[in-house]
Amino acid sequence: MMVESAQHKKEKYIKQKTPGKLTTVARLVLGAVFIFAGIDKIRHPGAFSEVIYNYQVLPDQLINGTAILLPWLELILGGCLVAGLWLPGAIVLTNMLLLTFFGALLFNVARGLNINCGCFSTSTEPVGGTTMAWYVLRDSFFLLLGGRLFFALRRMHSDDERQKVFQGP
Amino acid sequence: MGKESTKTFLGLTIARQAAVLVFLTTVIGLGVNQVRSNRLPLIEDWSHEARLKTPSGQSMVISLDEAKALFLSGEAMFVDARPSAEFEQGRIAGAVCLPWQEFEVFFDSVFPDLLPDATIVAYCDGETCDLSEHLAEELYNMGYENVRVLVNGWSVWRDAGLPTEG
Repeated sequence: MMVESAQHKKEKYIKQKTPGKLTTVARLVLGAVFIFAGIDKIRHPGAFSEVIYNYQVLPDQLINGTAILLPWLELILGGCLVAGLWLPGAIVLTNMLLLTFFGALLFNVARGLNINCGCFSTSTEPVGGTTMAWYVLRDSFFLLLGGRLFFALRRMHSDDERQKVFQGP
Repeated sequence: MGKESTKTFLGLTIARQAAVLVFLTTVIGLGVNQVRSNRLPLIEDWSHEARLKTPSGQSMVISLDEAKALFLSGEAMFVDARPSAEFEQGRIAGAVCLPWQEFEVFFDSVFPDLLPDATIVAYCDGETCDLSEHLAEELYNMGYENVRVLVNGWSVWRDAGLPTEG
Protein backbone atom coordinates (compact mmCIF):
# COMPACT_ATOMS: atom_id res chain seq x y z
CA MET A 1 0.00 0.00 0.00
CA MET A 2 2.82 2.36 0.88
CA VAL A 3 4.44 1.83 -2.51
CA GLU A 4 1.20 2.44 -4.37
CA SER A 5 0.47 5.64 -2.59
CA ALA A 6 3.98 6.89 -3.22
CA GLN A 7 3.56 5.99 -6.88
CA HIS A 8 0.24 7.80 -7.01
CA LYS A 9 1.76 10.84 -5.36
CA LYS A 10 4.61 10.84 -7.82
CA GLU A 11 2.32 10.67 -10.85
CA LYS A 12 0.18 13.44 -9.51
CA TYR A 13 3.28 15.49 -8.90
CA ILE A 14 4.66 14.91 -12.37
CA LYS A 15 1.34 15.88 -13.93
CA GLN A 16 1.24 19.05 -11.88
CA LYS A 17 4.79 19.94 -12.63
CA THR A 18 4.88 19.03 -16.31
CA PRO A 19 6.07 22.14 -18.11
CA GLY A 20 3.50 24.00 -20.20
CA LYS A 21 3.41 24.10 -23.98
CA LEU A 22 5.16 27.45 -24.12
CA THR A 23 8.10 26.13 -22.12
CA THR A 24 8.40 23.10 -24.39
CA VAL A 25 8.29 25.32 -27.48
CA ALA A 26 10.94 27.62 -25.97
CA ARG A 27 13.13 24.60 -25.23
CA LEU A 28 12.82 23.17 -28.75
CA VAL A 29 13.29 26.50 -30.54
CA LEU A 30 16.32 27.48 -28.48
CA GLY A 31 17.75 23.97 -28.87
CA ALA A 32 17.35 24.07 -32.64
CA VAL A 33 18.92 27.53 -32.83
CA PHE A 34 21.91 26.34 -30.80
CA ILE A 35 22.33 23.21 -32.93
CA PHE A 36 22.28 25.13 -36.22
CA ALA A 37 24.51 27.89 -34.88
CA GLY A 38 26.97 25.29 -33.57
CA ILE A 39 27.13 23.24 -36.77
CA ASP A 40 27.69 26.29 -38.96
CA LYS A 41 30.57 27.46 -36.78
CA ILE A 42 32.10 23.99 -36.51
CA ARG A 43 32.23 23.85 -40.31
CA HIS A 44 33.98 27.22 -40.58
CA PRO A 45 36.34 27.62 -37.62
CA GLY A 46 38.49 30.23 -39.34
CA ALA A 47 35.53 32.46 -40.15
CA PHE A 48 34.24 32.13 -36.60
CA SER A 49 37.60 33.13 -35.12
CA GLU A 50 37.36 36.32 -37.24
CA VAL A 51 33.92 36.99 -35.80
CA ILE A 52 35.28 36.65 -32.26
CA TYR A 53 38.22 38.88 -33.13
CA ASN A 54 35.85 41.55 -34.45
CA TYR A 55 33.94 41.61 -31.15
CA GLN A 56 37.15 42.84 -29.50
CA VAL A 57 36.31 41.60 -26.03
CA LEU A 58 38.74 38.65 -25.69
CA PRO A 59 42.52 38.82 -25.46
CA ASP A 60 44.17 37.49 -28.64
CA GLN A 61 45.47 34.36 -26.90
CA LEU A 62 41.92 33.19 -26.12
CA ILE A 63 40.37 33.78 -29.55
CA ASN A 64 41.22 30.48 -31.22
CA GLY A 65 40.47 28.36 -28.14
CA THR A 66 37.04 29.96 -27.98
CA ALA A 67 36.52 29.46 -31.71
CA ILE A 68 37.35 25.75 -31.29
CA LEU A 69 35.26 25.01 -28.18
CA LEU A 70 32.27 27.37 -28.21
CA PRO A 71 30.56 25.82 -31.28
CA TRP A 72 30.73 22.36 -29.71
CA LEU A 73 29.26 23.68 -26.48
CA GLU A 74 26.41 25.19 -28.49
CA LEU A 75 25.82 21.94 -30.36
CA ILE A 76 25.88 19.80 -27.20
CA LEU A 77 23.63 22.19 -25.26
CA GLY A 78 21.25 22.39 -28.23
CA GLY A 79 21.14 18.58 -28.32
CA CYS A 80 20.37 18.40 -24.58
CA LEU A 81 17.60 21.01 -24.91
CA VAL A 82 15.92 19.30 -27.88
CA ALA A 83 16.25 15.80 -26.40
CA GLY A 84 15.23 16.94 -22.91
CA LEU A 85 18.42 15.52 -21.40
CA TRP A 86 20.27 16.98 -18.43
CA LEU A 87 18.04 20.02 -18.50
CA PRO A 88 19.16 21.63 -15.23
CA GLY A 89 22.79 21.80 -16.32
CA ALA A 90 22.00 22.56 -19.97
CA ILE A 91 19.51 25.34 -19.19
CA VAL A 92 21.87 27.10 -16.79
CA LEU A 93 24.83 26.87 -19.20
CA THR A 94 22.62 28.04 -22.09
CA ASN A 95 21.56 31.08 -20.10
CA MET A 96 25.14 31.84 -19.14
CA LEU A 97 26.12 31.77 -22.81
CA LEU A 98 23.18 33.93 -23.87
CA LEU A 99 23.96 36.48 -21.16
CA THR A 100 27.62 36.56 -22.21
CA PHE A 101 26.70 37.08 -25.89
CA PHE A 102 24.20 39.77 -24.99
CA GLY A 103 26.66 41.54 -22.71
CA ALA A 104 29.39 41.54 -25.37
CA LEU A 105 26.92 42.84 -27.95
CA LEU A 106 25.59 45.66 -25.75
CA PHE A 107 29.15 46.59 -24.81
CA ASN A 108 29.95 47.05 -28.50
CA VAL A 109 26.73 48.93 -29.22
CA ALA A 110 27.62 51.27 -26.35
CA ARG A 111 31.11 51.97 -27.63
CA GLY A 112 29.96 52.21 -31.25
CA LEU A 113 31.83 49.24 -32.63
CA ASN A 114 30.26 47.52 -35.62
CA ILE A 115 30.91 43.81 -35.07
CA ASN A 116 30.51 43.03 -38.79
CA CYS A 117 33.89 44.54 -39.52
CA GLY A 118 35.32 45.38 -36.10
CA CYS A 119 35.15 49.02 -37.11
CA PHE A 120 34.02 52.08 -35.26
CA SER A 121 31.26 53.94 -36.94
CA THR A 122 31.86 57.65 -36.62
CA SER A 123 28.56 58.49 -38.23
CA THR A 124 25.17 56.88 -37.76
CA GLU A 125 25.84 54.83 -40.84
CA PRO A 126 22.53 53.10 -41.68
CA VAL A 127 23.85 49.65 -42.66
CA GLY A 128 25.87 49.08 -39.49
CA GLY A 129 23.25 50.74 -37.29
CA THR A 130 20.32 48.63 -38.39
CA THR A 131 22.24 45.35 -38.28
CA MET A 132 23.41 46.07 -34.74
CA ALA A 133 19.82 46.89 -33.73
CA TRP A 134 18.67 43.65 -35.34
CA TYR A 135 21.29 41.67 -33.39
CA VAL A 136 20.10 43.23 -30.13
CA LEU A 137 16.50 42.38 -30.96
CA ARG A 138 17.37 38.80 -31.93
CA ASP A 139 19.50 38.18 -28.86
CA SER A 140 16.81 39.68 -26.60
CA PHE A 141 14.36 37.15 -28.02
CA PHE A 142 16.75 34.25 -27.33
CA LEU A 143 17.32 35.58 -23.81
CA LEU A 144 13.56 35.68 -23.29
CA LEU A 145 13.32 31.99 -24.26
CA GLY A 146 16.27 31.15 -22.00
CA GLY A 147 14.69 33.04 -19.11
CA ARG A 148 11.43 31.17 -19.60
CA LEU A 149 13.29 27.84 -19.33
CA PHE A 150 15.28 28.99 -16.32
CA PHE A 151 12.19 29.97 -14.36
CA ALA A 152 10.37 26.81 -15.44
CA LEU A 153 13.32 24.85 -14.08
CA ARG A 154 13.12 26.67 -10.77
CA ARG A 155 9.37 26.20 -10.55
CA MET A 156 9.64 22.49 -11.28
CA HIS A 157 12.13 22.10 -8.48
CA SER A 158 10.76 24.50 -5.97
CA ASP A 159 9.21 22.07 -3.54
CA ASP A 160 10.39 19.14 -1.56
CA GLU A 161 8.34 16.60 -3.53
CA ARG A 162 10.68 17.12 -6.41
CA GLN A 163 13.46 15.28 -4.68
CA LYS A 164 11.51 12.06 -4.63
CA VAL A 165 10.74 12.31 -8.32
CA PHE A 166 14.29 13.17 -9.10
CA GLN A 167 15.80 10.40 -7.08
CA GLY A 168 13.39 7.98 -8.70
CA PRO A 169 11.86 4.83 -7.20
CA MET B 1 13.56 18.58 4.45
CA GLY B 2 13.48 22.36 4.33
CA LYS B 3 13.57 24.61 1.32
CA GLU B 4 17.30 24.98 1.70
CA SER B 5 18.07 21.33 1.11
CA THR B 6 16.03 21.42 -2.10
CA LYS B 7 18.04 24.35 -3.35
CA THR B 8 21.29 22.64 -2.52
CA PHE B 9 20.15 19.56 -4.34
CA LEU B 10 19.23 21.48 -7.49
CA GLY B 11 22.45 23.49 -7.29
CA LEU B 12 24.49 20.30 -7.07
CA THR B 13 22.64 18.76 -10.02
CA ILE B 14 23.28 21.88 -12.09
CA ALA B 15 26.95 22.05 -11.12
CA ARG B 16 27.55 18.36 -11.78
CA GLN B 17 25.79 18.35 -15.15
CA ALA B 18 27.38 21.62 -16.24
CA ALA B 19 30.85 20.34 -15.32
CA VAL B 20 30.36 17.14 -17.33
CA LEU B 21 28.96 19.08 -20.32
CA VAL B 22 31.91 21.46 -20.30
CA PHE B 23 34.32 18.55 -19.97
CA LEU B 24 32.66 16.73 -22.89
CA THR B 25 32.84 19.91 -24.96
CA THR B 26 36.54 20.30 -24.26
CA VAL B 27 37.39 16.71 -25.14
CA ILE B 28 35.31 16.63 -28.33
CA GLY B 29 36.26 20.14 -29.45
CA LEU B 30 40.00 19.72 -29.01
CA GLY B 31 39.89 16.17 -30.37
CA VAL B 32 38.05 17.10 -33.54
CA ASN B 33 40.27 20.13 -34.06
CA GLN B 34 43.34 17.91 -33.89
CA VAL B 35 42.19 15.55 -36.61
CA ARG B 36 40.48 17.92 -39.05
CA SER B 37 42.23 19.32 -42.09
CA ASN B 38 41.35 22.97 -41.49
CA ARG B 39 42.46 22.94 -37.86
CA LEU B 40 43.05 26.15 -35.97
CA PRO B 41 46.23 26.63 -33.97
CA LEU B 42 45.31 26.90 -30.27
CA ILE B 43 47.08 30.23 -30.02
CA GLU B 44 47.55 32.49 -33.00
CA ASP B 45 49.21 35.86 -33.47
CA TRP B 46 46.32 38.20 -34.20
CA SER B 47 48.42 41.35 -34.52
CA HIS B 48 48.05 43.36 -37.73
CA GLU B 49 51.71 42.83 -38.57
CA ALA B 50 51.32 39.04 -38.46
CA ARG B 51 47.96 38.91 -40.23
CA LEU B 52 48.77 41.27 -43.06
CA LYS B 53 51.60 39.69 -44.96
CA THR B 54 52.23 39.34 -48.64
CA PRO B 55 52.99 35.82 -49.88
CA SER B 56 56.69 36.74 -49.77
CA GLY B 57 56.33 37.42 -46.04
CA GLN B 58 56.54 41.20 -46.16
CA SER B 59 54.22 43.12 -43.85
CA MET B 60 51.61 45.32 -45.51
CA VAL B 61 51.26 47.52 -42.46
CA ILE B 62 52.56 51.06 -42.83
CA SER B 63 53.34 53.38 -39.93
CA LEU B 64 51.84 56.84 -39.64
CA ASP B 65 55.27 58.42 -40.17
CA GLU B 66 55.85 56.50 -43.37
CA ALA B 67 52.35 57.29 -44.61
CA LYS B 68 52.88 60.97 -43.80
CA ALA B 69 56.17 61.03 -45.73
CA LEU B 70 54.52 59.42 -48.75
CA PHE B 71 51.63 61.87 -48.50
CA LEU B 72 53.92 64.91 -48.40
CA SER B 73 56.01 63.72 -51.33
CA GLY B 74 52.86 62.93 -53.27
CA GLU B 75 54.00 59.37 -53.94
CA ALA B 76 51.02 57.60 -52.45
CA MET B 77 47.37 57.26 -53.36
CA PHE B 78 45.16 57.01 -50.26
CA VAL B 79 42.16 54.72 -50.57
CA ASP B 80 39.28 54.98 -48.09
CA ALA B 81 37.69 51.57 -47.43
CA ARG B 82 34.88 52.87 -45.21
CA PRO B 83 31.25 53.23 -46.35
CA SER B 84 30.80 56.18 -48.72
CA ALA B 85 28.68 58.11 -46.19
CA GLU B 86 31.64 58.22 -43.81
CA PHE B 87 33.96 59.16 -46.66
CA GLU B 88 31.70 62.15 -47.45
CA GLN B 89 31.83 63.35 -43.85
CA GLY B 90 35.59 63.47 -43.69
CA ARG B 91 38.61 61.81 -45.24
CA ILE B 92 42.36 62.07 -45.68
CA ALA B 93 42.99 64.90 -48.15
CA GLY B 94 43.00 63.59 -51.71
CA ALA B 95 41.79 60.10 -50.79
CA VAL B 96 39.53 58.19 -53.15
CA CYS B 97 36.39 56.39 -52.05
CA LEU B 98 36.50 52.60 -52.40
CA PRO B 99 34.21 51.05 -49.76
CA TRP B 100 35.08 47.40 -49.29
CA GLN B 101 31.43 46.48 -48.88
CA GLU B 102 30.64 47.96 -52.32
CA PHE B 103 33.93 47.19 -54.02
CA GLU B 104 32.46 46.27 -57.41
CA VAL B 105 30.27 49.37 -57.55
CA PHE B 106 33.08 51.82 -56.87
CA PHE B 107 36.09 50.13 -58.43
CA ASP B 108 35.50 51.30 -62.01
CA SER B 109 35.41 54.96 -61.03
CA VAL B 110 38.57 54.62 -58.93
CA PHE B 111 40.48 52.50 -61.42
CA PRO B 112 42.02 55.39 -63.46
CA ASP B 113 43.55 56.84 -60.25
CA LEU B 114 45.26 53.62 -59.26
CA LEU B 115 48.63 53.53 -61.00
CA PRO B 116 50.12 50.04 -60.92
CA ASP B 117 53.48 51.22 -59.63
CA ALA B 118 52.32 53.83 -57.13
CA THR B 119 52.05 53.05 -53.44
CA ILE B 120 48.44 52.60 -52.41
CA VAL B 121 47.60 53.23 -48.75
CA ALA B 122 44.29 51.69 -47.68
CA TYR B 123 42.65 52.81 -44.45
CA CYS B 124 39.43 52.63 -42.48
CA ASP B 125 38.61 53.53 -38.87
CA GLY B 126 39.09 51.58 -35.66
CA GLU B 127 42.00 49.60 -34.28
CA THR B 128 40.46 46.33 -35.46
CA CYS B 129 38.60 47.49 -38.56
CA ASP B 130 39.21 44.87 -41.23
CA LEU B 131 37.70 46.73 -44.22
CA SER B 132 41.08 48.13 -45.26
CA GLU B 133 42.72 44.73 -44.73
CA HIS B 134 40.28 42.99 -47.08
CA LEU B 135 40.61 45.83 -49.58
CA ALA B 136 44.41 45.67 -49.49
CA GLU B 137 44.42 41.92 -49.98
CA GLU B 138 42.03 42.19 -52.91
CA LEU B 139 44.08 44.95 -54.57
CA TYR B 140 47.26 42.94 -53.99
CA ASN B 141 45.71 39.93 -55.66
CA MET B 142 44.68 42.12 -58.59
CA GLY B 143 48.32 42.99 -59.17
CA TYR B 144 48.82 46.17 -57.14
CA GLU B 145 51.90 44.99 -55.32
CA ASN B 146 52.68 48.22 -53.48
CA VAL B 147 49.54 48.25 -51.41
CA ARG B 148 49.81 49.03 -47.69
CA VAL B 149 47.42 49.38 -44.77
CA LEU B 150 47.41 52.30 -42.34
CA VAL B 151 45.85 50.68 -39.26
CA ASN B 152 43.08 52.75 -37.64
CA GLY B 153 43.93 55.20 -40.41
CA TRP B 154 41.23 57.85 -40.19
CA SER B 155 41.53 58.27 -36.41
CA VAL B 156 45.35 58.39 -36.24
CA TRP B 157 45.56 60.73 -39.26
CA ARG B 158 42.97 63.15 -37.91
CA ASP B 159 44.36 63.01 -34.35
CA ALA B 160 47.84 63.81 -35.69
CA GLY B 161 46.44 66.99 -37.25
CA LEU B 162 47.36 65.93 -40.79
CA PRO B 163 45.47 67.31 -43.81
CA THR B 164 41.86 66.18 -44.18
CA GLU B 165 38.95 67.32 -46.28
CA GLY B 166 35.18 66.94 -46.46
